[in-house]
Amino acid sequence: MEIVVCVKPVPDAETRLRAAADGKTLDAEGVKFVLAGYDESAVEQALLLKESIPGSKVHAIAYGPAPRTEEVLRAAIALGCDQATWVDAAGDSSGDPVTAARALAGVLAGVPRDLVLLGKQAGDDESGIVPAALGQLLGVPDFSCVVDLRWDPAGTRFRFQRPVETGVESWAVPTPLVIGLQQAWNDPRTAKLPAILKSRKAPIGRTTPASASAHSLPEKFELPPPRTGARLIEYKTPQEAAEKLVRVLREEAKVFP
Amino acid sequence: MTGPTVVVGEVADGHLTGPTLEAIGVARALGRPTVGFVAGAHARSAGPEFARYGVLEVYVADDARLDSAPGGARVGPLREVLASTGASVVLAGGTTNGRELVGRIAIAWDAAAATGVTELAAVEDGVRVRRPIFGGRATESRRLTGERQAIALRPHAFPSPAESPGTPHLHEVSPGALPAPLAAAERTGVAPTVRGAGPGLTDASIVVSGGRGLRGPENFHLVEELAAALGAAVGASRAVTDAGWRPTSFQVGQTGRAVSPQLYVAVGISGAIQHIVGMISSRVIVAINSDASAPIFKVADYGVVGDLFQIVPALTAEVRRVRGL
Repeated sequence: MEIVVCVKPVPDAETRLRAAADGKTLDAEGVKFVLAGYDESAVEQALLLKESIPGSKVHAIAYGPAPRTEEVLRAAIALGCDQATWVDAAGDSSGDPVTAARALAGVLAGVPRDLVLLGKQAGDDESGIVPAALGQLLGVPDFSCVVDLRWDPAGTRFRFQRPVETGVESWAVPTPLVIGLQQAWNDPRTAKLPAILKSRKAPIGRTTPASASAHSLPEKFELPPPRTGARLIEYKTPQEAAEKLVRVLREEAKVFP
Repeated sequence: MTGPTVVVGEVADGHLTGPTLEAIGVARALGRPTVGFVAGAHARSAGPEFARYGVLEVYVADDARLDSAPGGARVGPLREVLASTGASVVLAGGTTNGRELVGRIAIAWDAAAATGVTELAAVEDGVRVRRPIFGGRATESRRLTGERQAIALRPHAFPSPAESPGTPHLHEVSPGALPAPLAAAERTGVAPTVRGAGPGLTDASIVVSGGRGLRGPENFHLVEELAAALGAAVGASRAVTDAGWRPTSFQVGQTGRAVSPQLYVAVGISGAIQHIVGMISSRVIVAINSDASAPIFKVADYGVVGDLFQIVPALTAEVRRVRGL
């Protein structure tokens, strides 16, 4: 099984977000970029499938600028991916997921791939556009919000579930396909120190996509006013707490009739 | 030359869904001609519902195969509608399927695309959108340029439109043959979402979630009763789903569902960052917890510090009383 996992470097969850000087995007100065969230689950799931299907390989591909993109690819190798390709986003500062999908598809078109696996959405822009755009670009079926992804060797197809708003769908789909993952079988593993050290010297392929002009451009990056903490309801009895809370929710917050 | 807006309708239980109605309202506010599109087994029966909200030109691809095929099967008929109407904007509701369709049509129709949109306005050279990012910890504004834009909204960010009934004109769209790769994919079943009698977690305008403070699955009914009184969906923290008190489909948080209801009530949830990112964009947050130093009180709007085993039943009774239940 040739598994390709696409990942995106995103700011560490603890990052204090700030707007850049032009006010349009996140200020990346001093920010630690990591492999995180759904992408981390996608790498975990790719490795679990590799371990359970003899003769499988995992190729990690990422689109983004230096040096963060190369760093997350090294993290993916340290976790157990066999190969990595960096699609250099130099010159594209749009943050446009459609542009990213086109760049990734340019590389995907030329590599062996039975399964393209990625997080259902990135942890920063949360657009969820890339999995569906890749399916369309590659001419293969795509599914996002996928859980319990399993290979059925007898039926030579993947079986998985997709919990969406209207119910939980079950699917059986032959390769090739694109999966936007909601959850892996288990929590993502952490890399061991020798593997991390070894990954620093691993070769990383680099390609530059054909230049494309994005049709989605950032104009403003804003932070919400800081939450000042809860207003605590003062009360003597649980009944009084309940009455006061319901009153403020109805009259002040106006959240229910 | 700016063309009409096409609203992509979704159907559940034979009717257009709440997120579809929100998209209709947004399309009408854009002030351009609006047409409706709906595909699947109930397209012809649900399609006329567009006209109740003033959208009279409705394109229907009435074919049950479109319900059981991968979402990509809807791209073909939708493209036909976009071509025949000379559309400029595709608008979808804030659902998983709506978001996916936007990703595909961005490629198939060569459009600028955005999802999770909470504000949009027509500007000279396209559409300006605003959307929460980083789990609601920041907001970005983007300009979608060019002649075509595909946009999915964020659920509950917009009200349903006022009724403005008219007589619908239905146009039949041929779904055509499924491309072979899509035809090979088989949907083997659909189970209703595991939940109480209330609305689905991501659809609900009120969510009540329970955490470790409930001490055991035998006490989770306290959360469910409060949710029932409020007409709310039931959620849970990761501690609860990891312990198997409730299925993972209940989980609100980074690795579960992100919700953005009008009101979020956190019962016995301490407020790990993992949970916070899944609910921080709720409009009003209420926390009930015995530990006054729990981080949940930092992000909540209103808090009750106290024993949830006393507070929650009293709150359920009070909600029932004021709602006349």
